[in-house]
Amino acid sequence: MSNGISHGQKAKPRDQQSAALRLKNNRLGMNIFQVSWIMVFFALIVVNWQLRFSYAQWPPVGVTPFEPLLPSLATLALLGSSFFAQRGLAAFRSAEIKDFALCWRLTMTLGIVFMALIAREFAMVSAAALATQYGVTMRLMTGFHIVHALVIVGIMLAVYRRAGAGAYRGGEAAGWAVEGAAKLWHFVTVAWMLFYLVLYWLR
Amino acid sequence: MATIAVPIGTQAEQREAEAVRRPALSEYLRWSVDHKIIGVQYGISSFLFFLVGGAMAMGIRLELLTPGLDLMVSGSAYNSLFTMHGTVMIFLFIIPMWAAFGNFVVPLQLGAKDMAFPWLNAFAFWLIPPAAIIILMGYFVTPAEAGWTAYPPLSTLFSGDGQTLWALGAHLLGISSIMGSINFIVTILNMRPEGMTLWRMPLLCWAVLATSIIAVMATPFLAGALTLLLLDRVAGTTFFDAAGGGDVLLWQNIFWFYSHPAVYIMVLPGMGVLSEVLSIHSRKPVFGYRMVGLSSMGIAFVGFTVWAHHMFTSLQPELRIPFMITTMIIAVPTGIKMFSWLGTIWGGKIRFTSAMLFALGFLSMFVIGGITGVMLAALPFDIHVHDTYFVVSHFHFVLFGGSVFAIYAALYHWFPKVTGRMMNERLGRIHFVFTYFGFLFTFFPMHIVGMLGMPRRVAVYDPAFTQWNQLIGIAAFVLGFSTFIVVYNVIHSYFRGPVAGANPWRALTLEWATTSPPPVTNFIDDPIPYEDPYGYGTEAATAYLDAVDETFRNGAPASSR
Repeated sequence: MSNGISHGQKAKPRDQQSAALRLKNNRLGMNIFQVSWIMVFFALIVVNWQLRFSYAQWPPVGVTPFEPLLPSLATLALLGSSFFAQRGLAAFRSAEIKDFALCWRLTMTLGIVFMALIAREFAMVSAAALATQYGVTMRLMTGFHIVHALVIVGIMLAVYRRAGAGAYRGGEAAGWAVEGAAKLWHFVTVAWMLFYLVLYWLR
Repeated sequence: MATIAVPIGTQAEQREAEAVRRPALSEYLRWSVDHKIIGVQYGISSFLFFLVGGAMAMGIRLELLTPGLDLMVSGSAYNSLFTMHGTVMIFLFIIPMWAAFGNFVVPLQLGAKDMAFPWLNAFAFWLIPPAAIIILMGYFVTPAEAGWTAYPPLSTLFSGDGQTLWALGAHLLGISSIMGSINFIVTILNMRPEGMTLWRMPLLCWAVLATSIIAVMATPFLAGALTLLLLDRVAGTTFFDAAGGGDVLLWQNIFWFYSHPAVYIMVLPGMGVLSEVLSIHSRKPVFGYRMVGLSSMGIAFVGFTVWAHHMFTSLQPELRIPFMITTMIIAVPTGIKMFSWLGTIWGGKIRFTSAMLFALGFLSMFVIGGITGVMLAALPFDIHVHDTYFVVSHFHFVLFGGSVFAIYAALYHWFPKVTGRMMNERLGRIHFVFTYFGFLFTFFPMHIVGMLGMPRRVAVYDPAFTQWNQLIGIAAFVLGFSTFIVVYNVIHSYFRGPVAGANPWRALTLEWATTSPPPVTNFIDDPIPYEDPYGYGTEAATAYLDAVDETFRNGAPASSR
């Protein structure tokens, strides 16, 4: 038996978890994180909703409503990227690394298209809208969302490069990073769908 | 009983090599992913903040000894003092203190070798020192003056840069709390040993589970509120400024949607501790075990529906009655726990250890805090005592009479497991007497001055209240003094206390079925839990406990059996 570890030595309890337990823990942890962090997005929706009632009408008098066309295209791009992230994950699991790389590149490209379109919306808010909470909450929500999208695309890029270099092979537990990145990307999509509805359709 | 399942290994030589060694003190100052080290790190740092916050409380009472200004140069200085007192006590003492006991005890109670995510656990702890430095630094620039609740416009227009630092620090603490809670939930749900179903889990684990669910669901709202506050303060937005189309009540809504559930983050683990301590020290099974576990979940759930009772005076009138009703409903699961505790000690073989005394102290004081809570839930009464000392009294009865008494009970109860030494019981009893009566005479009279109309958060008050405040002040100094007794006791017992042995309280939960302190891997073999964590008073339980004693005789695992 080699488990006689005294305090003097550096023990790594994490290494004692079996691969199956580690995967189970990672999955549950990720689910809880997603449920938890989506609450920040809900909080911002509450902000948007409560501030509406400071005004007689929404959008306020003299402010033209946001045009939903470009954001809708961006939303389609994001939905597509989430689809390809899932396809990429499935390809990775069946060890089709080429397919995985293609899907993952598509995911990231569509994600960047989404961010570019939303960044344009962010930049183009009219001065009249910015003088009211209509424009400010829109910038708050899209800005907050893009920060998340940017960080998670960064994570996906890191996973892509390491996976291309041959990491994460050998079973589901080893491939957790790919699964985790895909799940984070789905989180970005779900969070955006909530914002999209509130910002462009619920008037 | 023929088969007695305790963690008895077969590797006798292995055990002999494994002496019971305490971690060197320097290990507590370093990064470590061992949940036991992290638990102690949480405990010691939050206790230091308790001393800091307590010193501030002494300053507050010193100021209030006379109706005029004497210690403070201005009302603003007083504002920043009580702001810091509240912030330190809530964000830096009570919440991380429960992470201390949760970290140390929960994996042991589950028979696990560590938390699910050890690295994340350490990271969550190490966010606290920088956050504390940021918050405390704010006190020395232009301090926050808006109270720990940071209501705008006080926190936007009338506070200095300290408020910005306050918000940044609170942000970090919120992130730390979410990461810690994810870790607890995953550990509790995934890492129980075979044979321990959810319904056979110790009640501290139930309480930590409920607490963590609240923390992961509510703390993000704090993050949202703080983000808006920071933007209003530094980026020129006007979310909380009606002049710019904002709404001051927005802060109150979002902040209390976090902070009311946070009240249960602060007290639910204490309720779990109480179930443990009362059962073990009166040698009786927990009365109504399932209902206690479920009531923790009930409190967690209902706790999300009551936040607007903090806004009775500013809320739309038609929403007052619904929130009054939900607030009264939350007394039901709390009452279930209360009756369970009474049923547990009823007819038990009570041993008045220090841990038991503090648990009984919680029982008596929390009942008062709970009843004043129901009084405050009643709208007509709340409007009468709104922003008076009655409110101050109420929340100190639940946070000191509740949480802090439970923290002391937990300290006396688990100190032997953490250090391998017993605490001094005589000093413990003296500490209890000073704390209990100091507490009672500090906070009970506040009910009366509150109902007589003394407003909270003022440095200058009507001279008619002078005598009451002097009584409160003197009692508060006694309470402050009592803290030094326990500090001395901890330090003295760490070095000179009698050796505790594995299971000094003869308890059935798994943290006692290993050496004190436990080895790095917690258990040498996979431990097998006793079928009922509180099944005291049966022959089988006695046999199990005897077997544990036999296995770990003299505080070290026996070399042979």
